[in-house]
Amino acid sequence: MRDIAAEHDSDVGAEHDDGDNAAPERDDSAAPEREVRAPAQALDEYRARARAWIEANLERGQASGLRRGDTDPAAIAAGRALQRRLYEAGYTGITWPREYGGQGLGPEYERAFQQEARGYRLPDLGIAGGTTFGVCAMTMLAHASADFLRRHIPRILAGEELFVQFFSEPEAGSDLAGVRTRAVRSGDGWVLNGSKIWSSGAYYADWGMCLARTDWDVPKHRGLTWFAVPVTAPGVTVERIRQITGDAEFCQEFFDDVVLGDGDVIGQVNDGWTVAQTMLMFERGGGLSHGTRTTGASTGVAPDLVELARATGRLADPLTRDLIVRAHVDDVARRALLARLGERMRTDPAQALHLASYAKLVSGVHDPIRADIAMRIGGADAVNWETVGADGACADGAHGDAVSGDAVNRDERPGDSPGPKVAVGFLNSRFMSIAGGTNEMQRNSIGERVLGLPREPSFDRGKPFREVLRDARGWSSARE
Amino acid sequence: MSVGLLASATPEQELLLDSSSRFIERTMPLPSVRELAAGSGGVDARYHEAAGSLGWFGMLVGEEHGGGTVSGNGLLDAAAVAAERGGVLQPGSFATANVVAHLLAAEGSRHGEVLARLVAGRARATWAVGDVAGLTPGAGEIVAGEDGGGGFRLDGDVRHVPDAADCDLLVVTAHGPRGLTQFLVAADTPGVQARRMASLDITRRPGAVRFHDVRVGADAVLGAPGDATAARFEWQVGIAAVLTAAESVGAMHRDLEAAVEHAGTRIAFGRPIGSFQAVKHLLADLSLSLEMAKAVVSAAAESLGSEPPGSEPPGFGARDGVDLAHAAKAFVAEHGVELAHGCFQVFGGVGYTWEHDHHLFMRRLAADAVAFGSAQWHRDRLGERIGVG
Repeated sequence: MRDIAAEHDSDVGAEHDDGDNAAPERDDSAAPEREVRAPAQALDEYRARARAWIEANLERGQASGLRRGDTDPAAIAAGRALQRRLYEAGYTGITWPREYGGQGLGPEYERAFQQEARGYRLPDLGIAGGTTFGVCAMTMLAHASADFLRRHIPRILAGEELFVQFFSEPEAGSDLAGVRTRAVRSGDGWVLNGSKIWSSGAYYADWGMCLARTDWDVPKHRGLTWFAVPVTAPGVTVERIRQITGDAEFCQEFFDDVVLGDGDVIGQVNDGWTVAQTMLMFERGGGLSHGTRTTGASTGVAPDLVELARATGRLADPLTRDLIVRAHVDDVARRALLARLGERMRTDPAQALHLASYAKLVSGVHDPIRADIAMRIGGADAVNWETVGADGACADGAHGDAVSGDAVNRDERPGDSPGPKVAVGFLNSRFMSIAGGTNEMQRNSIGERVLGLPREPSFDRGKPFREVLRDARGWSSARE
Repeated sequence: MSVGLLASATPEQELLLDSSSRFIERTMPLPSVRELAAGSGGVDARYHEAAGSLGWFGMLVGEEHGGGTVSGNGLLDAAAVAAERGGVLQPGSFATANVVAHLLAAEGSRHGEVLARLVAGRARATWAVGDVAGLTPGAGEIVAGEDGGGGFRLDGDVRHVPDAADCDLLVVTAHGPRGLTQFLVAADTPGVQARRMASLDITRRPGAVRFHDVRVGADAVLGAPGDATAARFEWQVGIAAVLTAAESVGAMHRDLEAAVEHAGTRIAFGRPIGSFQAVKHLLADLSLSLEMAKAVVSAAAESLGSEPPGSEPPGFGARDGVDLAHAAKAFVAEHGVELAHGCFQVFGGVGYTWEHDHHLFMRRLAADAVAFGSAQWHRDRLGERIGVG
């Protein structure tokens, strides 16, 4: 759902004290009336209207689950059409400002709508949809000009514009402020050259939110600017990247003299790092402060793992049961942590970006542990499984499923075996420890910004970025 | 500064925590805890009475018995206080005192006078639970038999009883003729012999109690023996587990705080060691554990404590609270010790000295890890929620 591997370095801060101020304010601009409690009656009426509309217009069922596997263009088109119907009925951007096509209502209205819509099929715009609504639009609302927002937000809400992040580069992931894609002033506009990578869902998106270097003669954080780049603009090439699961959601883009206008700039020229901080907060889980508060109450002991143990005949095994409970205890603590962080971010908005690192790190650390537990419960059944052909007959399982990545026969499917799901979970389990800021970057952020530990010595601080690249080439080995 | 168990405290909770912290700082800071550990006596009566006047023993008790809560959820308030106590390794068993107060409050006015003294800090109580339900293997159990005259005789020897030798009152969980039965027994009842045990945790005073032909009347029975007591027992363990875990969380907070401070000031290779990622990242991971521990303990306290104080044992509705208490204790028991190990590594050699406070926290966290159920015991209880078919 987000740009894999993208992250800041922890180098903002002591010297760039402007770097830290961006994130907290964003709430108010996103939902100016969120503190105003709705009178119960108004909320009840809203709920009743929403229920009636949902019953008349939405189908029962779960979301189609576009997040896994290659996204079908027809499914995305259907998702966009459904998104438009919600937009026209006024059920998108419920908490977003009215002047940009939102409804300007408090979060309790959003919650009411979500509650009423439970069990109905809502628009599924795949991985790019998640990025558009959860990260890009939220960041735009905090930093883009009114003119930009008037142009783009209504279209986003209507499902016409899907935005992805053009953030990481082949040579800039953790050191995100070290991006080398350049935008050069030309007449009234800009000319963009370079390459971005790990942009999830770019192949079916409409726009990319792109971080480019606009000044090479200042330290790295100070010469950056954000642009909105149409994916179909002349000079933009999008290539899909096949992942270890066999899916190809991630993309790499190449920019060759792509012409952009001043109206495409998001935030201030050369102040892109401020905008990036906001974006990173949303990537890490900054949306927590908008979310529904949970107490971490248990919802049964790791139901997925219980089901797996039942399917593999290990449910009576005491060691397996203990593994399941271990996973459950961590699940409970993780849920409670997210509720706690939401609360802490509300009461301490200045720390929100850094507190969000806990939300990110907890996934990065515990997802692999949980996936490992599932592999242990799955045993051989999580490694090998029989496949079933389109006609229901047993098929030769040597080729043909998403996990092998060798899709000779896409019609084959993995029968009733729990194996593929566990195996895909295993292959995907390091996603959160790398994507959107590695565990190491979150630990730096927590260590320096929450715990107040001393900073790492740095070799690029205060140095024009041009010189940073030159000096790094002279790095020597300890054995020289 | 509060150790911050609660993500956000109400002004009334802040006042309670602030007055508790100031009391601790004034009367029992760490140097005093060390003095107490070095001596043979326990904490004096004034400390206990002052604690009572702060409301420490009345949070699970209704106002009609002199108790009360500042937030409407007494267990949540008590957990927040427990965390402040744990941060300065306060002596005495806060967990068992509150469990006993809660039990007596459930008896209505029957034990009103005793309860009032307990709440005021003028009497001290603990809970002799032993190995009931496998809670503490090797702790022993008490058997209650009918004495023929309507009363009971108690026999057995239980160990690992918090502050056993310093208490005036004992609640005893025993195996009786009609199943699990709980008694309120005065410590000076003939046949009751309390003794101290030596402990890894030198900041506490655990003990053991021998019951030899101890005669008590039927009026000593708390609640209804059998299933009702078994149900109540689950909740009692939940309260004790949550409050013990909350004290651990306070200890974790202060140990980590000291390790972070050390990492910021100790110089090696020309720079503070906390600037090395090997150290910084370890501390960040421990900090994540601590945040999760605070979150899961306060969630458990909030849920388990949301029943009105003094109510009957929970039925199905409170299942979540008991289960969250199991999860909280299981999490903290393991991560508390893990955090102590990590901090020790950051302190390096100085952490191995008697003068440095770290070992006091490490001892406490290791002892709390097995008090009122080890991580394994609490996981086993959660495992019972999983079907077998």
